[in-house]
Amino acid sequence: MVLGIKPTEVPIGLRPTYLHLFIVGWISQLIFGVSHWMFPRASKEHPRGTEWLGWLAFWCLNAGLLLRAVAEPMNPAATEGWTLVTSGLLQLIAGIAYVAHIWPRIRER
Amino acid sequence: MPPFSSRLQRTALCYLILGLALGALLLAVKGLGWPFPYGRLMLLHAELLLVGWLLQFTMGVAHWMLPKHASGPERGPDAPIAAAWLLLNVGVWLAGLGPVLGWPAAVVGAGRGAEAAAVLAFVVNAAPRIKAFGTGREAGSP
Repeated sequence: MVLGIKPTEVPIGLRPTYLHLFIVGWISQLIFGVSHWMFPRASKEHPRGTEWLGWLAFWCLNAGLLLRAVAEPMNPAATEGWTLVTSGLLQLIAGIAYVAHIWPRIRER
Repeated sequence: MPPFSSRLQRTALCYLILGLALGALLLAVKGLGWPFPYGRLMLLHAELLLVGWLLQFTMGVAHWMLPKHASGPERGPDAPIAAAWLLLNVGVWLAGLGPVLGWPAAVVGAGRGAEAAAVLAFVVNAAPRIKAFGTGREAGSP
């Protein structure tokens, strides 16, 4: 978008990467970050809860996404295939870590 | 936060895990060349994450954080937001599972209709709370 490229002008092989960079890398990651900042405190001692889970989500999400961005446009030869598997698992681990991190901070009052 | 906010957010988090798990499976299918109904599951993956996760989580946070009413129920009546939660989740499953299980197009259409109705119900609750800073503070005003 910033480069003035319309979604329909992105080559078909790059479209999944393009969409995921926006939806996972931008929108979802922004939600992760803002909720980590603004959600009710977990406790007085640890207001933001289990911080290592937040860092795990951050590193796994970005590693998985970047791995995908590199591997997906290539032809799925055996090694690249396993790169995609690793990328998917990293993003899944990121999601699980984020949910485990933020779930206790979603509290009714 | 209000009960319906936490309900929307926690449901959305469940969809996040489901959608990412399905996405990981789809990447494995793509990478390793497994024979699998890739296209149909892609629609479910998109439905779970775009509507079930992103839209629902945003609705939950908005219901919690938008300005409160000065009188009456702080966040407006519960019925529209409860209807939004119910309709959105019925819609996600009908519209998401329909193509995977080969349900008739009318069922998928009903799912889309339920999602649209959910958004409308959410707007009914949220729109009166969107106001300029300092307005709506007069006694007796909503």
